Amino acid sequence: MNINREEELAKIRKDLKEMLVRDLHLEDVKPEDIKDDEVLFGEGLGLDSLDAVEIVVLLQRNYGIEVRNMEQGRTVFYSVDTLANFIYENRKQSD
Amino acid sequence: MPRDGGTGKKRGGKLGFWFFRTSLRLLGISGTYGFLYFVCFHYLIFDSAAVSASMAYMRKRFPNHSVVRMYIDVYRLFINQGKSLIDRYYAASGHGKYDARLNGYDRIQRYFRNTDRGLILLTAHIGNWQFAMTALRRLDKTVHLLMRPEDNEAVKSVLNIDSDNGNIKIISSEGYLSGVIEAMGAVYEGEIVSIMGDRPYEYKTVQTVFLGSMASFPIGAFTIAAAAKCPIVVLLSAKTGKRSYLVDITNVIELPDSPRGDRDEVVLAGVRKFAGVLEKYVEEYPYQWFVFEDLWQNDLGDKVSARERAR
Repeated sequence: MNINREEELAKIRKDLKEMLVRDLHLEDVKPEDIKDDEVLFGEGLGLDSLDAVEIVVLLQRNYGIEVRNMEQGRTVFYSVDTLANFIYENRKQSD
Repeated sequence: MPRDGGTGKKRGGKLGFWFFRTSLRLLGISGTYGFLYFVCFHYLIFDSAAVSASMAYMRKRFPNHSVVRMYIDVYRLFINQGKSLIDRYYAASGHGKYDARLNGYDRIQRYFRNTDRGLILLTAHIGNWQFAMTALRRLDKTVHLLMRPEDNEAVKSVLNIDSDNGNIKIISSEGYLSGVIEAMGAVYEGEIVSIMGDRPYEYKTVQTVFLGSMASFPIGAFTIAAAAKCPIVVLLSAKTGKRSYLVDITNVIELPDSPRGDRDEVVLAGVRKFAGVLEKYVEEYPYQWFVFEDLWQNDLGDKVSARERAR
């Protein structure tokens, strides 16, 4: 069971990194350069608030998940790891 | 969307507000207007930042005016802003009644009848935009102002913000991710998010022609609207008489649904439309745009990130 979970999370993280690089037009950054626990906004990857808008859309379009709550966003948008966990949990709920 | 720069410092302060409140009580509105001529003259002489930023606008709006004439234009602008502030307090105090004519209400009402999605209300530092908000109360929708909460205490007192039965709330632009997630959430909930679209500050901007030259406009409202797939309604307000204001929400900017790769073009097209609406406004009401920032300043382009410019 846990192996499945880990495999799925790894796949989500990989997809997310590819989407971030492609949809946010990150120049000079390859998906494999992004660490799982790297801070996305401010320091770290250096994304800004308008990139957050794109990530909200990306979650909606690709996973059917809407982030409406700022407190939720603060936790979820921290890193690729937290985003992947959020997608995994919410996708599971809707399954 | 980071914080304020430019000439956005607070002016007047508590002592100033107390002075005008007392004056309103003792002398009424006409007497209080009279004080403005002295106060604004003081600012004209000593507030070089505000004068310089206003001159940038006047040079574009009145290219044929002499320097002396432009100083008079700036003086008129300051006086009009003072009147706008006094009107706001007078209305809030309950002593003064103002007639606010609202154009475009039916269209917005129809929009909300047909969808459960909210919209972006894009406005500018014109007329008395805070006063205009009260005219929208009959839409019976919560309006979220994306702004710094401490930006203007007057806004809070006039608009009854965050009180138990108030339908106007603030989303802090200094909060986490500049409040954009909260703003999108509000649109998804069918509510209205009001955003200022004129002062670039240090926000991401694009340049478009405005009053004959390339000027920078912030893109936050357009990016959120494109992502949330909602329309942008431009809110204009102008003082049209001693006790009357016009509130206009007839200009609606619809951003076409587009693939992510075309988003920047869509945003730019939206900004162009907004600049066109604002240009018409300042042609009609040149002394009611309190921008106090030089949108044409060349180095504003540098505030757009390299990645933004490369797109």
